[in-house]
Amino acid sequence: MTTHQDQATPPQKAAPPATARSPRPRPSGRRRRLARMGWLFASPALLVIIAVTVFPIVFSVVMSFSNVTVTGNGFQLSGVTGQNFSVVLHSDRWRHALEFTALYTVGTVVVEIVLGTAVALVLERLTTARGWMMALLLLPWAMITVVSAQLWAYVYNGVYGVLNAVLSPLVGHDVNVLGSPIQATLAMAVADIWKTTPFVAIIALAGLVMLPSDVVEAARIDGAGPWTVFWRVRLPLLRPTLAIAVLFRVLQAFGLFDLPYVLTSGGPGNSTESLAVLGWRVMFQDLKFGPGAAIASTTALIVLLLCLAFLKVFRAQVGTEETA
Amino acid sequence: MTTIKHTAPVKGRRRFGWTEAAAIVIALFVAAPLYWLVATAFKNVKELGSPSPTAVPKKPTLANFHEAFSTYDFGRYIANSAIVSLVTTALVLVLGVLAGYALARLPVRGRSGVMTALLMISLFPTVALAAPLYLLLRDIGWLNSYQGLVLAYTALNLPFAIWILRNYLLSIPKEMEEVAWVDGASPLRTVVSVILPQARPGLFTAGIFTFVACWTEFLIALSVNNDDRYRTIPVGIALFGGQYVTPYGTIFAAAAVAMLPIALLVLIFRRAVVSGLTAGAVKG
Repeated sequence: MTTHQDQATPPQKAAPPATARSPRPRPSGRRRRLARMGWLFASPALLVIIAVTVFPIVFSVVMSFSNVTVTGNGFQLSGVTGQNFSVVLHSDRWRHALEFTALYTVGTVVVEIVLGTAVALVLERLTTARGWMMALLLLPWAMITVVSAQLWAYVYNGVYGVLNAVLSPLVGHDVNVLGSPIQATLAMAVADIWKTTPFVAIIALAGLVMLPSDVVEAARIDGAGPWTVFWRVRLPLLRPTLAIAVLFRVLQAFGLFDLPYVLTSGGPGNSTESLAVLGWRVMFQDLKFGPGAAIASTTALIVLLLCLAFLKVFRAQVGTEETA
Repeated sequence: MTTIKHTAPVKGRRRFGWTEAAAIVIALFVAAPLYWLVATAFKNVKELGSPSPTAVPKKPTLANFHEAFSTYDFGRYIANSAIVSLVTTALVLVLGVLAGYALARLPVRGRSGVMTALLMISLFPTVALAAPLYLLLRDIGWLNSYQGLVLAYTALNLPFAIWILRNYLLSIPKEMEEVAWVDGASPLRTVVSVILPQARPGLFTAGIFTFVACWTEFLIALSVNNDDRYRTIPVGIALFGGQYVTPYGTIFAAAAVAMLPIALLVLIFRRAVVSGLTAGAVKG
């Protein structure tokens, strides 16, 4: 959408070349000065980003291939080794964290996309108090995840939680959902869905509002019922928007940390330990920087691959839709 | 609502139907946990541990708030978060506007490459940054300090801010700038007196996103600022209380106060937030 503006060039460029020896017109002095100015403007921001994100990422990868010895007042890197990766990739705990993170991501994102789209459809039809609804939906998005984790921990508490108060008369005993692996996973998913479905809904609503109304109108005139219009016309048109929401959510969910760290501490056992929690614990609690960096690097690699795969599929899809 | 209108009913326009009913259900689902947080903050110790909690506190009390701010030093966490978030937001906006302007308007080579790289960086999982960032800050002696966290947050939030600001700057007409150019204003002067006033909505969006991100960030803060004196709100709330007892009343009182500024900010600048959230989806 913005690419055509990128190519905007000043009219000077169209001037005929002065000599046959230089077929490409040389940039004018002003243009070069502006380019220098551009780098000058951009460099403080880019330097900060490189120093604090790019450099650590590279360092993290280096660390994951090194023997790291932590001493009292420092650490040492020595040699190149695949040891960290082989230790990590062969450990049951890592495999479990990978499985858990992948399943959790797929499960929550699917539910969030379905619910989010449904909420967006309701909001779109709503004629009154839409502003209030939008405001309400923004609150979970802005919520400190640690706070919502503590809140849900209290709700799920096996003695004085609301959930227990509601369920225990029905089942006849105290209910502690955080005590069993499957229930704890579901409980965490509910907390996650509560916080992020509004985000999906707002994106989906923006997409719905932007849909070309003439196409939808044409389908209606052709006698399509509301159900058919939604499945056959609107949903396919909405797909690119939902795809962006999926991308954001998948990447976020793969870095899942705050919620398991506070709500379940990765428990019971290691059942709700995500890749990020595992990596963080190995680095900051066990002080095993080599294996920790290996976990972090593999997580980052998976995210990168997901991103690239997604872009490829997305480009192909949007490409065919645009030419159609 | 109760007055009966004596006009002919408008076809297809019901006052209250399935849409409204569904909207109410959605609103209740979203609001209920938030209500529970606030209601619990006003409950006394006996009610907090009761196995049959009530929706409305029987004897509302301010004891939890007193506890959070007198017994525990929660005010300090709020001050820490405020310092880090405000300084970071200011830095991100200054650096972000300059970079956004350069990438939107000035003939910098490799602009699209830079923009793609920024997008990739902003999607990177933070856990991969925690350890090297910790070691970096330790080497320069900035662990448990404001400047360390500000540096980290500035870098983490700049990519998104540059995207937002650059896209916004591209949407402003070029004419004003060209007039400034012809009048001989320097690029910096042009940015300050011509671009900034027009870019205000974009600045709001980038500023609010940065502020909210700093106010809620947990992983990096936990890794580099775990000393009680430098804890931010999320770290303070996560590590509140002892090993065996979690003082939920105190935590929720503190959390309600901590959420207040951010809730107000988001509600007041609703439009800016929505435009930021949907920028990626709509612009592609």
